[in-house]
Amino acid sequence: MNKSDTNGKKRLSNALYAVKSYFSVQANVLIVIFAVLLLVLTVYPMYSVIRSALTVGRMEAMNYNSLLHAGLKDGDLTLVHFRALLSSDVRFWKPLWNSLRMSAYASVIAILVGGTFAFLITRTDIRFKKFFSSVFIFPYIMPSWTLALVWKNVFANSRVGTGVIGMLESLTGLCVPNWVVYGIFPCALVMGIHYAPFAYILIGGTLRNMDANLEEAATILRAGRGRILRKITLPIVMPALFSTVLLVFSSTMASYAVPVFVGSPGNFFVLSTQLSQIYKASQIRGQAYVMTLVLILFGVMLLGINQWFTGKRKSFTTVTGKSGQVSYIKLGKANVWIASALAVVLFLIAIFPIISFALESMCEVQGDYSTLTLKYWLSREDIGGFAVNAGHGILFNSMIWSALWGSIRLSLIVSLIVGTCGILIGYAVARKRGTRIAGLVSGLAFFPYLVPSMAFGAIFLAVSTRLTFLRGTLLLLVIVGSIKYLPFASRSGTNSMMQLSGEIEEAAVIVGASWPKRMLRILFPIQKSSFISGYLLPFISCMRELSLFVLLTTSGTLITTLLAYFDEKAVTQMSNGINLLIVIIVLLVNFTINKLTGASIDKGVGGN
Amino acid sequence: MPKIVLTHVTKQWGKFIGVNDLNLEIEDGSFVTLLGSSGCGKTTTLRMIAGLETPTRGEIRFDDKIVFSSDKNINVPPAKREVGFLFQNYALWPHMTVTQNIAFGLETLKWKKSDISARVQEMLKTMRIEQFADRYPAELSGGQQQRVAIARTLAPKPRVLFMDEPLSNLDAKLRGEMRTELKRLHRDTGSTFVYVTHDQLEAMTLSSKICMMNEGMLQQYAPPLTVYNRPANLFVADFVGNPSMNIIPAEAKKTGPAQAEISFLGIQASFDGEKDFELGSGDVAIGIRPEFLPISEDGDIEGLAYSTLPAGMETTVKIKLGDTILSSVVFGAIDYETDAKIRFSVAGSGILLFDRQSGKNIACGRLSVR
Repeated sequence: MNKSDTNGKKRLSNALYAVKSYFSVQANVLIVIFAVLLLVLTVYPMYSVIRSALTVGRMEAMNYNSLLHAGLKDGDLTLVHFRALLSSDVRFWKPLWNSLRMSAYASVIAILVGGTFAFLITRTDIRFKKFFSSVFIFPYIMPSWTLALVWKNVFANSRVGTGVIGMLESLTGLCVPNWVVYGIFPCALVMGIHYAPFAYILIGGTLRNMDANLEEAATILRAGRGRILRKITLPIVMPALFSTVLLVFSSTMASYAVPVFVGSPGNFFVLSTQLSQIYKASQIRGQAYVMTLVLILFGVMLLGINQWFTGKRKSFTTVTGKSGQVSYIKLGKANVWIASALAVVLFLIAIFPIISFALESMCEVQGDYSTLTLKYWLSREDIGGFAVNAGHGILFNSMIWSALWGSIRLSLIVSLIVGTCGILIGYAVARKRGTRIAGLVSGLAFFPYLVPSMAFGAIFLAVSTRLTFLRGTLLLLVIVGSIKYLPFASRSGTNSMMQLSGEIEEAAVIVGASWPKRMLRILFPIQKSSFISGYLLPFISCMRELSLFVLLTTSGTLITTLLAYFDEKAVTQMSNGINLLIVIIVLLVNFTINKLTGASIDKGVGGN
Repeated sequence: MPKIVLTHVTKQWGKFIGVNDLNLEIEDGSFVTLLGSSGCGKTTTLRMIAGLETPTRGEIRFDDKIVFSSDKNINVPPAKREVGFLFQNYALWPHMTVTQNIAFGLETLKWKKSDISARVQEMLKTMRIEQFADRYPAELSGGQQQRVAIARTLAPKPRVLFMDEPLSNLDAKLRGEMRTELKRLHRDTGSTFVYVTHDQLEAMTLSSKICMMNEGMLQQYAPPLTVYNRPANLFVADFVGNPSMNIIPAEAKKTGPAQAEISFLGIQASFDGEKDFELGSGDVAIGIRPEFLPISEDGDIEGLAYSTLPAGMETTVKIKLGDTILSSVVFGAIDYETDAKIRFSVAGSGILLFDRQSGKNIACGRLSVR
C-alpha cells in the first residue's frame, strides 16, 4: 500500500516533470496554443454549420410543413434540408454542373496561360522578363471582379441584359451575342486569367528550381526539344501543374463576385451564387448550409487527391544544381513578335482595366465618351440624381474616405495578425515536423481554405447571432479575416521555416540568445522577404475582399461593400471610380513593399 | 576516333572573362583532366566543348569537323556532337526508374526494343546495380546514383565522355573505389575521357594529361608526372602535390653556363642546371618537393622540428628554419619531439628555379649547400 502510494507520487511527479520540460521548449508551447486555438476556431463553426443543416428554424418548419406536410417543429433534427436541396434541379444539380464546368475550364485556361508564360520567362531568352513578370501578376493582385467589370464595360450592349451600352458598341456599333457577355464563357475566362498568375508562380517556381542539368542530360543523349519537354520537363513539373489545377479548381468553385457580375445577369448560376440566393430566403436557409457542406466536401476531396498524388513513390525532390547555367532557348527573330504579342495581352489584362475604370468613372452617360466629366471625382456638391444619396465627388466624399479608412484599418490589423501567426505556426510546425500535432496544426490552418468565403461569412453570421457581443463589430471582421487568410500565411511561413535548418537556430541557442531574440535577430532577417510576403498577401486579399464581409457588415464600413452598394444602385461612375481606387492602392502597396524589401508575390520566378 | 581541338576559345559574361584564349588539343583515346580551383573556368571549358555553353570567341573542332566557330557562325547543338556527359549531381530524372533512366538515350536513338533491354542489362551488370533496376533515384544512395548516372551516360556508347567533378559528392572510400573503376572503364571502352576536378590527387592518378587552369588561363598542359616534376610556373608548382612544394625566395647570380650561386634563408648554395638558363633580375624562388628534403643526422642544414604528422606509411615533418616552415616527407613513421633539433639536406636533381616576377620556371637541377 505504502509502496504503491510512493510509486503513485513518483509517477505523478514524473508526469509533472515531463509536462514541464515539454513546455520549456517554445515550439511546443506554440504548437499546443495553435492546436487549441485552431480547433476552437474551426470545430465550433463547423459544428454550427452542421447543426444548421440538420435542424429547422420556425420559418423553415412552417415552409416545409405547408409544402411537404412534414410536421416539423422549430428546432427539430431532420434531413429535410438535404432532401429538399438534392431533389431540386434548379437549385442544386444545375448550379453544381455549372460550377464544375466553370472550374474545369478556368483551370485549363489558367494552366495554358500561366504555364506558357512561365515557360517563356524561365526557359527562353524573351526580352523584358522582369517587367513582364511583375505586370503579369497584376490580375491576381487586383480584385477578381476587376476583369469581370471590365468585360461588362467593354462588351455590354443594347441587345443584352440591362441594355447598357459598352465600349465596343459605343466605338464600333458592334453588338456581341449574349453568351459572350454573360454566362459560362466570360466566367471561366475571367477566373482563368485571374488565376493564371497563380499557375505562373507555381509552375515557374518549379521550372526555375529544376536543375537545368536534368534537361541537359537529355540533350546530350540526343533527345530533341519536343521529347525533352514531353519526357522530362512536363513530368517533373506535373506535381506543380496538378496543384495548380486543384487550387484554381477549388478557388473557382468557391468564387462569388465573378459569377455575380458576368454570370447571374445571363441566368448562369453556380453553387456560390445559388448559395447566397438561398441564404437570403429565410424559409429555406438550412439548404444554404447543406450547400456549404457540399462545397467544403469538394474542397476536402480535392485536397485529398493532391495529398495522394504528391505522396507517391516517385518523389520529386528537385536537387538544385548549377542552375545558374540554364541555357535559354533562343527565340531569335520570333523574340520581337512574341514579346510584342505578350505586351498586348498584358496590356489588355493588366493595364486596360485601369483605363477602363477611369473612363467609365468620368462618363456622364455610361458608354458615351462624348460626355466626359470630372464631376464624379471633384464635385463638392451632392451628385445625387439616381434616387440615391451618393454624396460629393469621390475625392471629397466623406462616405468613401471613411469606408476606405475602414478597409485599410481592417486589412492592416488582419495582415499583422495573420502574418505573425503564419510565421509562428511555420516555426512550430517546422520544429515539430513529423509529429502528429504538427500535422494537425498545419491541417487545421489549411482548413479555412476549403470553406468558400461566402459560406464562411454565413457561418460567422450564425456564430454572431449566438455570441451577440460580436455582432457587427470590427472584432468580428478581424476574426473572420484572420482565419480566412491563415492558410496562405501558414503555408508560406512553414515553407520558409522548413528551408532553415535547425542548426541555424541551435547555433544561437548555444551562445545563449533568448527565443524572441533568435526569432527577431536570426530567423526573421534570413527569410525576411518571404515573411513579408506572408504579411503582404493577407493585406491585399483583405483590401479587395467582398464576399467574405458582405453578410457581416453594413455597406458603408468597407470600401468593397460600398462599391457593391453603388454597383447595385447603378451609380456606375462611382463604382468604377472606387474600383480604380482599390486597384491603385493595392498595386501601390505591392510596389512599395517590393521596392523597400524585395519581397514580391512572383518572388524568384521572374528574371533577376 | 575524334581528336578535339580548341583554338583561341574565350568565354565572357559582360566584363568577366571566364575562359581566356584557350588553345587545347585532346587526343583520341586520352584521359584529359581539367584541373583548377573553383571558378577557374574548367567547368565552363567542358560545357563549351560539349555544346552546353556557347563560347564568345574561338573555334572548336572534333577531328576535321568544326562544331563551333565564332567567325564562321557555326554552332553544332550538343545532341549532334555525339558525346556523353556525366554531371556533378548526376542529374538523374526523378520520375523515372533506374532502367528508364538508362534506356532513355537508347530510345531517343530509336534502338530496337530487344537491343535496348539487352544493353540496359549489360550496363546494369557492368555497374553492378542489377538489383536496383526498378527503383527510383530518390531510393538510392549517393554511390548507387553515381553508378546509374555512369550507366546512363555510357549506354549509347559515346566516343567522348565528359565528366564534371563526378566523384565530389561521394565519401572518401567510395571515391577511391570509383577512381579505380573509372580508370578501368577508360581502358575497356577505349573512349576519350575529359574530366573536370579540383582534386589534384584525382588528376594525378587518373589522367594521361592534365590541363591546369587558373583564372580562365591555361597554365600547363602536360602528362601528370611532368606537371608534378616540371611545373611550368609557381601556380602549378603550388597547386599540385600534397604536402605542397616548398617555395623559398632566393637571390641568384650566374657563375657559368647552367650554373649559379644561390643564397636563401642565410644559406649559400650552388645550382647546377640540366641545361643553360637565363636568370633575369636574379630574384628567384626555389621550389623543392618535400621528398627532396631528406632528414638525417649528417644533414647539411639544421632546423627545429616544428610539428610532426605521422600518417603510418609516411610522415610529414614541418621544419622551422628561421621564420620559414618547410615540409619534408619521410617514409615510415617517426615522431620528433616538438622543437627538437633535426638536420636535413637538399637532395636529388629535381630542384626547381622560378622567376619571382613572372612566376615562370627557369631551370631544373641540383642544389649543393656549402
